[in-house]
Amino acid sequence: MRRVAIVGAGMTPFAEHFHLGIKDLLPMAVSEAVAHVDKGFDRKDIQAAWFGELVSTDGFAAGVMADSCGLLDIPVTRIENACATGNDTLRNAFYAVSSGHVDVALVVGGDKVRETSSRATFWEWMSMTRDQAWDYPLGLVAPANFALHAQRYLHESGATREHMAMVAVKNHKNAVPNPKAQLRFEISIEKVLAAPPVVTPFGLLDCTPQSDGAAALIIVAEHLAEKYTDKPIWVRGVGLGVDRVMHQHKQDMTTFPATVRAAKAAYAMAGVGPGDIDVAEVHDCFTAVEMISYEDLGFVDRFGAAKALEAGETSIGGRIPVNPSGGLKAKGHPPGATGIAQCVEIVEQLRGVASNQVDGARTGMAHNIGGPTAVSAVTILSTDVS
Amino acid sequence: MAHLQVLATHQPCWGSDARRVVGYDEDALTLAVAAGRAVVEHAPDAVTSVVLVTRDLPGLEGGTEAILLAGLGLPSSTRCSVVLGGAPAALDAISTGAPGTLVITADVEPAAGAGAALLGTSGAELGAVGRSEGSLPLKVRNTSGGTFDYDDPRLQRVRGTNAALDRLALDDKPIAVAGLGAKDAASLVQGSPAALPTTGASSVVFALADALERSAAGLVTAVEQATACVARLASGSTAVLRSARAARPFPKTQLGADASIAISLPAYERAFDSKLGLQAGQCATCGTLALPPRHRCIECGSEDPHPLTPLPRDGVVYTAVSVHVPVPGLRTPYDLAIVELGDTGVRLLTPVTGGEPATTAIGDAGTLVLRRLAVRHGIPDYGYAFEPTEGATP
Repeated sequence: MRRVAIVGAGMTPFAEHFHLGIKDLLPMAVSEAVAHVDKGFDRKDIQAAWFGELVSTDGFAAGVMADSCGLLDIPVTRIENACATGNDTLRNAFYAVSSGHVDVALVVGGDKVRETSSRATFWEWMSMTRDQAWDYPLGLVAPANFALHAQRYLHESGATREHMAMVAVKNHKNAVPNPKAQLRFEISIEKVLAAPPVVTPFGLLDCTPQSDGAAALIIVAEHLAEKYTDKPIWVRGVGLGVDRVMHQHKQDMTTFPATVRAAKAAYAMAGVGPGDIDVAEVHDCFTAVEMISYEDLGFVDRFGAAKALEAGETSIGGRIPVNPSGGLKAKGHPPGATGIAQCVEIVEQLRGVASNQVDGARTGMAHNIGGPTAVSAVTILSTDVS
Repeated sequence: MAHLQVLATHQPCWGSDARRVVGYDEDALTLAVAAGRAVVEHAPDAVTSVVLVTRDLPGLEGGTEAILLAGLGLPSSTRCSVVLGGAPAALDAISTGAPGTLVITADVEPAAGAGAALLGTSGAELGAVGRSEGSLPLKVRNTSGGTFDYDDPRLQRVRGTNAALDRLALDDKPIAVAGLGAKDAASLVQGSPAALPTTGASSVVFALADALERSAAGLVTAVEQATACVARLASGSTAVLRSARAARPFPKTQLGADASIAISLPAYERAFDSKLGLQAGQCATCGTLALPPRHRCIECGSEDPHPLTPLPRDGVVYTAVSVHVPVPGLRTPYDLAIVELGDTGVRLLTPVTGGEPATTAIGDAGTLVLRRLAVRHGIPDYGYAFEPTEGATP
């Protein structure tokens, strides 16, 4: 198995890009990743591409990506794995490079969520992601999937809505200096608690916005890394975990077993543990999801998330800063792009050039959970080759 | 001569004591199941055939009988028929039915309620005396739901009710008159029967239940426009089951913009027996229950056939949320819960019904009741909703 390095990373701003289509966003992200390669990069070097998109827009995904980015001479494969699409796309490309079949690969993620009315999106996406007979007619809207977990989590852990609000406050603060973030303003705990309810226990400010955007990575085999950069970021571990799809079958809803499985695989491949992670981008589509994920990723003990937030352990300057980019909560969440963009942030962190730099970060993690809550993908990146 | 083994009445919780109305997730079928199910639970294995009498069928086609039997928890092989009729048809069906027949009556308009009568070999006797059909179409409903109302109460009284009863030449004043409002009935009956909550088919069961509770015996009549039916009730021992939660107004909700929710009829048909009968697949190898049923056992991996087995209809909330944002086609706020059924370990994701939204809490106990969960492309989609036990939440 060959080692794999990220040599270029780029992304569009995350926003409601009403004026840009998926065919605009994808080449924008790819061009930024190409321009990001220190020692220059010729697109002709790309031997294969993987494209993560949750919902096809303007045509079938792989074709739209290849066509819009001018990549007609290489194989392009679409990856879709719910909200874990981004990190899973990198995982699939990683295997091709590490196995020796591909030396230089392009990894792209993108989604155009705001292409339909925000009201219509509810039913359109639900019909694809719920059991047609059992769940779909009930009105199990996206926030409700996670809220069912959050209610049980609050009930058992003793954590409160105030702790959830601390996540939102932290991530909004982190987004302010990030030029790519969608919601660049600070909020207060009082404001989060007073926001209109969406699905209990989530108020409006506990929820990710709806976002459009794209992100891209260029990954290469170890022997080519120094041709492109003196500062390669090594893909040390990738992991994917799944769980029962219907909530009825999830025995303990205070945890996401998919995350536990994905993290276990990624840690094992990387040869590191939770204590080695200096900075993490964690899937915070809803505030409580970040809290549960602290525990599933091993950053804190079971039901220890509230205390960690109270102590500021996951803030910049804390023991393990989480979502320095602003996270899904404030940076935004175009699902296919989300995981790739998390890796863009970690690359910047490990190179010491992030907008919210975590001092001395050498090893970082990116994490997605989706499906809803039935698939997770985790990536561990490091400045250290082993 | 029929014997009334069990009577059950059911009133939806919505509206006022004077007039109950159906909730947004109820119709004549869900009311019928509520009344009939009480009888089936009281006398398991006693029912051999089912007759539903109503004029408020939610649809003329679409497997009404199958939905009814599944909701009642009866085998699909049970003989089942639907009679389009009001109070006289109901009294006729009850007084002439064979033992083992479950006659269910359900009304939506003008007031909602349902009743069920299980005929057996013991219990109070009800014998048919006579009937007379007449035509005085003061109110007409066409098949698309349009109504014509002649609106002449005096004509109804003189040439409808009175003329029909005259034709029957009763030798006694009846002890109960079903099918009429309290005021119209008062002058026609002896004694002081309770005001009946409905005026359609179910008013017969309400009248019989009231008569049995006050140990009255004698003639019972049922009237609809210019049609009447009469039977004689003798005293006897009949179980009378009442179900009526405290009446309450509709909660304040907001209806999201209209939305046509797609339906997959293959998915509907595959799920039907399990979803409407609330039955789990049971692994033939290890006994593990699966809801919905699955090809491969969630516990042992066996792919042997998994026969369906009924689940308990009582449950406790494992987790619950309230949806507050507008959702196209739905009324918000609404609650969703994951409910653990009895002590089976099986959980079901359900809407919460029969109370104020945003009050469902973890640990609440209640029952699973058949409801119309959605109307998808015009097709009613039935399934189970969780109704918290009264008083369990504020």
